[in-house]
Amino acid sequence: MSSDQTLSADVVIVGSGVAGSSIANELARAGISVIVLEAGPRVDRQHFVENFRNLENKPSYQGPFPAVPWARHPPNQQTPNEYLHTSGPNAEAYQQVYLRMMGGTTWHWAGCAWRYLPSDFELKTRYGQGRDWALKYEDLEPFYYQAEVMMGVCGPDPAKEDLGSPRKQPYPMDALPISYAAQQFRSLIQEKTPWRVVHEPQARNTRPYDSRPTCEGHNNCMPICPIGAMYNGSYSVYHAEAAGAKFIPNAVVYKIERDSANKRVTAVQYYDPDKNSHRVTGKYFVIAAHCIETAKLLLVSADDKSPNGVANSSGHVGRNMMDHTGVQVTFISGDKALWPGRGPLETNVIDNFRDGDWRSERGAYLVHMVDDNQVDLATQLAISKGYVGRDLEEQIRYLAAHTVRLFSHNEALPDPENRLTLSKTNKDILGIPHPDVYYKLPEYTVKSCEHTRGVFRQLIGLMHGTDEQWTPGYFPQDHPSGSTIMGTDPTDSVVDGFCRTHDHDNLFIASSSVFSTVGTGNITLTVAALALRVADTLKKELIHA
Amino acid sequence: MRQDRNRQPVADWCVSPNAMRLNRLVRMSRRDALLGGLGFAVAGGLSGAHAQTVQPNASAGADQSGEVASFMAVSQRLTDRDTLDANIGTALYMGIVHANPDRKDKIQTLRALMDSSKAATAADLAHAAEKADPALKDVIHEILTGWYRGVADNKVVVYRSALMFDITKDAVYPKTYATGGPFYWTTKPPEVERPTGHPALSASPFVIEPT
Amino acid sequence: MLDFRKTLSALLVSSALSVGALSCEAIAAHAQNAAPAATPTPEATSTPAPTSAPVATQAAQPVASPSATGTNPAVTPAANGMASAQSDAAVMERGAYIATAADCVACHTKLGGQPFAGGLKIATPMGDVVSTNITPDADHGIGKYTEQEFEQAVRHGVRRDGAYLYPVMPYVSYAGMTDQDVHALYVWFMHGVKPIATAPKPTELTFPANVRSAMAAWNFVTTKEQPESGDSATYDPLRRGKYLANALEHCGTCHTPRNFMLSEKQDRYLAGGPLSGWYAPNITSSKTAGIGNWSEDDLVAYLQTGHAKARAQAAGPMGEAVEHSTSRLTDKDLHALAAYILQVPAMEDDLEHKPRESFGHAVDLPDLRDKVPTRIDDLSEMDGAHLYDANCAACHSRNGAGTRDQYAPSLFNNTTVGSARPDNLIMTILHGVNRQTAAGHAGMPAFDGHSDVQRLSDSEIAKLVTYIMTTFGSGDPHVTADQVSHFRKNF
Repeated sequence: MSSDQTLSADVVIVGSGVAGSSIANELARAGISVIVLEAGPRVDRQHFVENFRNLENKPSYQGPFPAVPWARHPPNQQTPNEYLHTSGPNAEAYQQVYLRMMGGTTWHWAGCAWRYLPSDFELKTRYGQGRDWALKYEDLEPFYYQAEVMMGVCGPDPAKEDLGSPRKQPYPMDALPISYAAQQFRSLIQEKTPWRVVHEPQARNTRPYDSRPTCEGHNNCMPICPIGAMYNGSYSVYHAEAAGAKFIPNAVVYKIERDSANKRVTAVQYYDPDKNSHRVTGKYFVIAAHCIETAKLLLVSADDKSPNGVANSSGHVGRNMMDHTGVQVTFISGDKALWPGRGPLETNVIDNFRDGDWRSERGAYLVHMVDDNQVDLATQLAISKGYVGRDLEEQIRYLAAHTVRLFSHNEALPDPENRLTLSKTNKDILGIPHPDVYYKLPEYTVKSCEHTRGVFRQLIGLMHGTDEQWTPGYFPQDHPSGSTIMGTDPTDSVVDGFCRTHDHDNLFIASSSVFSTVGTGNITLTVAALALRVADTLKKELIHA
Repeated sequence: MRQDRNRQPVADWCVSPNAMRLNRLVRMSRRDALLGGLGFAVAGGLSGAHAQTVQPNASAGADQSGEVASFMAVSQRLTDRDTLDANIGTALYMGIVHANPDRKDKIQTLRALMDSSKAATAADLAHAAEKADPALKDVIHEILTGWYRGVADNKVVVYRSALMFDITKDAVYPKTYATGGPFYWTTKPPEVERPTGHPALSASPFVIEPT
Repeated sequence: MLDFRKTLSALLVSSALSVGALSCEAIAAHAQNAAPAATPTPEATSTPAPTSAPVATQAAQPVASPSATGTNPAVTPAANGMASAQSDAAVMERGAYIATAADCVACHTKLGGQPFAGGLKIATPMGDVVSTNITPDADHGIGKYTEQEFEQAVRHGVRRDGAYLYPVMPYVSYAGMTDQDVHALYVWFMHGVKPIATAPKPTELTFPANVRSAMAAWNFVTTKEQPESGDSATYDPLRRGKYLANALEHCGTCHTPRNFMLSEKQDRYLAGGPLSGWYAPNITSSKTAGIGNWSEDDLVAYLQTGHAKARAQAAGPMGEAVEHSTSRLTDKDLHALAAYILQVPAMEDDLEHKPRESFGHAVDLPDLRDKVPTRIDDLSEMDGAHLYDANCAACHSRNGAGTRDQYAPSLFNNTTVGSARPDNLIMTILHGVNRQTAAGHAGMPAFDGHSDVQRLSDSEIAKLVTYIMTTFGSGDPHVTADQVSHFRKNF
């Protein structure tokens, strides 16, 4: 089945998440024609708000987002999984979730908008571990700021609280005032440990910004902000559309065509939900389809010219899969009431373990004290303990006021053996294979997690904690990265420092898949900054041409 | 393990979004059918002022209203509360019985036990129940889960109206329903004394639902 | 607006005409989406400080403080030479205050533009009227105006070249200004405002409203304020209140209904009327149709912050008027203005027979649910109760009580919901609220076709308005999707 109609644009982008939509917005505003192909449908906030309230298992962040059959995403974090099939010694630690729909996965992020540290880009040079990126912090600094303005990021004044990533401009908005629970946690850390608690930079409004309201602390950043106070990719979609970019939903790209020399991409082909095929031609192509789907698409496009997949002469497409696989514990504090769950979910961080000489031995990490409403958990716990009636109510109040959740982002390393491949047994309704991922946690990360457990035990002791519930094994953080790794050497990397594929001059990748190492901060701001840098490159080349 | 709600009937595949939407509009859910068949008034709820009353099937309605009355009596005792919302109770009862049809009898047993043991508190009834039949502990858990978490049959019966939010409303809001205004969270919430009560039932393993 | 078009046709036949009598604030509703950089600090939002008597300098006005003397570097050389002697601090301060009270900035500044440089498009059925540059720039602004020419424009609607101004400019109200205040206003504009050397695109109206001379006919028949005399600062409170209400704030421009000739019906003074989609309500002392149950403090709070608890809050044009003008008046003036308004003779209303703020109560019902999450592409339309739950309840609360601090106001005891006219509720949902005063920021996102938060269809908004007014307000307003569409397209 094939459609006669051929679509064409200067730049064709696959994926409408924060990366794809922000590139589309920049280019459309510069007068460049853009088509964005999104595998999933158009969606509505009000629908997700109701879905969340109708969801029995509230902590399931995928729960309010049941996928469409033609663009499935992982339904949950469980192994075995219906879509993302993981294997290997740490299969469960790589059970990532993401969303395939207009606006992408930032519909259910927590808005944590970290810049990476300068050292994160030079892990090999500074600590002899992993790789160096093919760019430096300074190359990305202006684009970090551009991304912060685009999203609306609030953060602390560097003169008062230096987060280690040098800034030329202040944050677009003042830092978010932290909750009473976080204030207590900060005081404890300050008084009883050598560490510190800092304000987390967040893409969340601390004043009206970009026609969206100030955060009112609905405590539901994940899975859905009910009022739009937190950035998500749909705003960039709207802005790009207003600037003239064309977005096509339900367009599942399954093939990347190249010219006879295999140097330039000439078109992409997509299926609509009824499996009619459509072809879109362009001058430049950007794959911005999330780490997992981007690698999958390059592999699926294998043909005689590129038997291992598009942009894959190095063989590194789908390899070097990383995450911030971490440790998580929930316990009951024996100190005064904290009542977590007032305000946004993630507002404060212990940042002392983001960098240090020990990075030559073990991975860095950061620690979140999650400000999560614990009433439901407290109720389940109190019922399981055997309380009834008035005693049950007292227990619920006490437990809800004293539950503390800590989790960490621990640094991974790029290991080619940690690899995404196409499933040989599972295909979707369009005939496209599901992704398989083999994962073994690098020793570097294991050591880091061990260190974190020690710190957590120390914190539990300081807070006179009881009823520890450790999440078994390791905790996937949904920050997959590395599958189209960046580097200067075309024989062991997929893209260069500008996110251009080594193999194809007009093919760019805008995704965490280009990360050479994964640092510790949440990945989204770096994804956006890299994407805006791609937009900058494309503007220069298209306008000069 | 929870049923994966992502799984769509095969017939829904390979069709366009529009067709799916239409399909969904004309399809009556199993639960809708159940609600209608049992002949209960589904009043209140989100439809508020526009609540629709389903005409009860006379005989079934009479049977069921007796069962619901028992359920409400047992629920009041197990929560140590004099008043509970009857609409919520009806919906919870239907969910609990739907998930496990034998709960119909078990709840009657609890009711009888409550009367015969003259249980004056939730703890009294729970003690007596577990002693009489250890399986009644699960039923009590389901009833408490229903009222406090608003969940029955693995479905949400009420969200913000669940009792767990009523007893914590001076400190926190149900997620998505925070009405403290910007930055309310910086203020000090109430202190909570360590409870002195004891469990009335034997402890059960605490299993966190996988996400 | 339909009535307005009919009136215009009638005017064409009778060879008199007008381009309408839109309030200058009316259009400011278009300025809702303020640029991020122009929005307040979180501190201002979080800790509403009681407004101390605002001084004129706190106005959004750009350069000069009243303490500036003739040496202000922003002053044009031309004006400088002429007026340096008389531009003492007191006159400057008075001029700045008059400009604020008369809310000149609202119309003469475009979104994101330089203050008083004009360029704001004011939509009328005949085309867009573009406000002019009234900075003291000699070529593009009013730098060449003598004081007499200035007075002619402000009080009589006559331009320096003799042409008539479109009555979008409320000179029929400003006609009531004292000589002393006009003088102060002139001095301040010449010395306190930074000259901007840009000219907005000229107004282009369709025939016959494009013939400015035809405005003379309208000027002849319309009722103007009689000029006041003496020193307006020394008036007794009632006279001062009247002066503020009529000559400066021009309340009647919006709140007094208009006759066939589009002049304000003085026998229905402040009895309410429609404008640009919004409805400026009856604010006479009627206890059933007006604001006769409000205390002076209620009205002062409203004018100062845009919000009177359990009564009303300002959005749209009134939100702009509060932000730019009334919130910056001194406490004394606010009380004078409020006291005057509250003694305006009661006028009854065809539709409203019970105080707008008296309707409704908290509606506490359990949120019984019978659905599981549906697929991400499920865009099927919800009913009114679910639309409310999904879009409004997060802030206004399920029971309609609003936030504890009333940052999001209660929907019962709320004039917008208790009005018999759904106009303001529809407009608020379409355009949101964005009002900044010293008391903090009041914000509600828009739900129109440009919203980043949620784009609601005509039918969804109709259901929502019906649900809200039925549940918390005056009853079912029978709003249809077509009506909402009319508001969406025309305003």
